[in-house]
Amino acid sequence: MSRILLIAVALLFLGLFLAMPLLAVFAQAFSKGLAVYAAAISDPMALAAVQLTLWVAAIAVPLNLVFGVAASWAIAKFEFRGKSTLITLIDLPFAVSPVIAGLVFILIFGTHGWFGGYLRAHHMRVVFAVPGIVLATVFVSFPFIARELIPVMQTQGNDDEETALSLGATGWQTFWRVTLPNIRWGLLYGVLLCNARAMGEFGAVSVVSGHIRGLTNTLPLHVEILYNEYNYTAAFAVASLLALLALLTLAGKSVLEWRQPELRRVAGTRQDRTRRGHP
Amino acid sequence: MSISLRGVSKQFGEFAAIEHIDLEVPTGALMALLGPSGCGKTTLLRVIAGLETPDEGQVLFDGEDATLWPIGARKVGFVFQQYALFRHMTVFENIAFGLQVKRRSERPRAALIRKKVQDLLELVQLQATHDRYPAQLSGGQRQRVALARAMAIDPQVLLLDEPFGALDSQVRHELRRWLRRLHDELHFTSIIVTHDQQEAIEVADTVVVLNRGRIEQSGIPGEIYDRPSSAFVHRFLGQVNELPVEWRNHRGYVGPLLVSESAQEANAAQVALIRPHELEIGTPDAGWRASIVAIRVIGPIVRLDLCAEGQPIHEPLEAEISRERFEAEAFKLGQHVGVKFRRWQVYPKN
Repeated sequence: MSRILLIAVALLFLGLFLAMPLLAVFAQAFSKGLAVYAAAISDPMALAAVQLTLWVAAIAVPLNLVFGVAASWAIAKFEFRGKSTLITLIDLPFAVSPVIAGLVFILIFGTHGWFGGYLRAHHMRVVFAVPGIVLATVFVSFPFIARELIPVMQTQGNDDEETALSLGATGWQTFWRVTLPNIRWGLLYGVLLCNARAMGEFGAVSVVSGHIRGLTNTLPLHVEILYNEYNYTAAFAVASLLALLALLTLAGKSVLEWRQPELRRVAGTRQDRTRRGHP
Repeated sequence: MSISLRGVSKQFGEFAAIEHIDLEVPTGALMALLGPSGCGKTTLLRVIAGLETPDEGQVLFDGEDATLWPIGARKVGFVFQQYALFRHMTVFENIAFGLQVKRRSERPRAALIRKKVQDLLELVQLQATHDRYPAQLSGGQRQRVALARAMAIDPQVLLLDEPFGALDSQVRHELRRWLRRLHDELHFTSIIVTHDQQEAIEVADTVVVLNRGRIEQSGIPGEIYDRPSSAFVHRFLGQVNELPVEWRNHRGYVGPLLVSESAQEANAAQVALIRPHELEIGTPDAGWRASIVAIRVIGPIVRLDLCAEGQPIHEPLEAEISRERFEAEAFKLGQHVGVKFRRWQVYPKN
């Protein structure tokens, strides 16, 4: 009885707070028919926003990929001073409000910021331009890949890498042939989440973007502008693109998790790692 | 290849893993590094492999200073307890790895690699498994693949870090014998790390016992077993009965039994160590009076726990006799017997 009650509560909650809003987005988006929907998402401003969002993600995700792999490698495989500080710092973007993240970049790169004078003298813009948006996005989407990889790498230990080196492989060969295949699913999962966040970020990007239509508007910002202009149908049409991204991410995540049992079986060599005798 | 260590030390933070180790491993030797966990045996092996850099001292390969050589340049085959097989590669690909990562100018042609891997698979008796993945193999098979993979680069030295520790005792026994045969056929220099004294004695020509980062004793297995140089080695190499020695007038006694004589009084506490098979059990009127409090039949031998009466020990003595003797004498629980010591050794207590 209590089991049924628990499941019912969970389902009701999910329905109320997750499924219903998602449905509402699509319902509202298509409320005036397919033609209006198509017009809304093929509007030049909307297309510009899509393009910018894709660009920003295309820069931010690879940057975080490289950093995430490097950081988790360092944390999982080496002992060094300041390691716990590094782990804490990686989590900082999770802990801090995105608005503050945005303001920090204004403080550093804005007209009156630390590097404001230098940037103006060299005719460069960071804040209220694409570089600022990229910076803010990198900042907020930064922990996902490292967070995903650290536990994976920690459980795998160093034995595989040390074996590869003892067999004469170089550092690069070891990374490409041994480490990367060992972490690929965790990495892919991290990239997926990082990408979802990079494309969906609102707060930090909103502060540094300046909302210049067709130039510094990302998809989430474009949705807000349309909404503020009472253009609900168009706002929801564009929002449906973001919702679709979320659904695709979830689908991708499920596929990866569905692969996990197989992965765990292959990882069986590691599961009996109960009595490692390193002094 | 011969290996020499000269004054090698390695610290991890405050913890001195190994201290001033001097060691000679002659070409073609099969040496066991034996000790309890934390004694530094794995660190020592990793220093030889080049996986750790010593803080002090030198590692010589054939007389040449190899202390700072990277692991890839040392031509050592390293085998881990947990096999460390590359999970995403088949058995064939695992074994071929060391050949395939060679620089293009040194890499053998594909046909040669295939031939070599096949020879190695034959050597480890796993021809049928070449296209399987590690997850599809048993523990013993995995460890043999790991050995074949290490041997593919024609190592001068084979280093094995508790290679059979994760296997059940029967497979372990078979693999030990197989490794010994392999070594006798191929004559490479091998060092095996183990905490299992039986394994060390069974497989190695030379056993080096380590304790707290230092070499306690080294020698051929029989010698170490028969003449341990310290109480630690004596205890570590097998079961012992430990009896306190009491000194009166330059004479050491265990109860009424004289066990040691010395010109000067020993100033630290001493113990006499006696192995279970060095106890002699007879009629109650000969030696210490004791009663049998436990009997365990273990295949061809029988272990008896004996409670001595009126003697300076509180724990039961452990005795070992043959099954034949046990059956001939028909010992029973609670029976009174007499206990004598055939042999003992006296050491400072720690």
